[in-house]
Amino acid sequence: MEEQVEMVGKAFVDHYYHLFDNNRTELVSLYQPTSMLTFEGQRIQGVDDISAKLNQLPFDQCRHVISTVDSQPSAFAGGVVVFVSGCLQLHGEEHPLRFSQMFHLIPTGQGSYFVQNDMFRLNYG
Amino acid sequence: MDPDAVAKAFVEHYYTTFDTNRAGLANLYQDTSMLSFEGQKFQGTQSITGKLTSLPFQQCQHGITTVDCQPSGPAGGMLVFVSGNLQLAGEQHALKFSQMFHLMPTPQGSFYVLNDIFRLNYA
Repeated sequence: MEEQVEMVGKAFVDHYYHLFDNNRTELVSLYQPTSMLTFEGQRIQGVDDISAKLNQLPFDQCRHVISTVDSQPSAFAGGVVVFVSGCLQLHGEEHPLRFSQMFHLIPTGQGSYFVQNDMFRLNYG
Repeated sequence: MDPDAVAKAFVEHYYTTFDTNRAGLANLYQDTSMLSFEGQKFQGTQSITGKLTSLPFQQCQHGITTVDCQPSGPAGGMLVFVSGNLQLAGEQHALKFSQMFHLMPTPQGSFYVLNDIFRLNYA
């Protein structure tokens, strides 16, 4: 059970940041109307508003490099909490930004997961 | 009750207990609780408290920089995402950390920690 949760977490993290870095508009497929995002303290709810926020971030190209992924089963049937730390390299910037992010994933019923909760924070030096 | 107020109250209580009465943290966990501490996994009150009380420092002080929270679903759970500094006695520089808690309500009207994940943020 433990290994399965870790696998879900890692697979999700790979997929999420690959989409973010290569096809950001597709991230919308990972959220649902009940989804919540807190991005550097700003609270956003629902697919449209979350998608708008992520697509309007003030940079076109970026690359996430993941340092750690920790996953645990949450209280909900098949739910997984995932805690990520890593670096975000923005195109044209000399130094990468460090960040932490947590996701609460809920099974869709079709064999995948959607993001019910998403919280992102930069880790300043 | 206002979820933000609940999250802030929990965070203050948790880190004050950690810094002044670490064994008292046992009250915040149950048999189903899970801790991932720098990638090492523990389950249940005894195992978790055992890890936290055997960390290789006596005195420490947590300074909290950010607290974010969101409701986790219909069961009344709350996710809390914290970042801050950890000053160890005798160490010149504070360590930076991030931590997430998934709190679940108890029948007595408080919360316990179901999920707890802690990571230091290295330079």
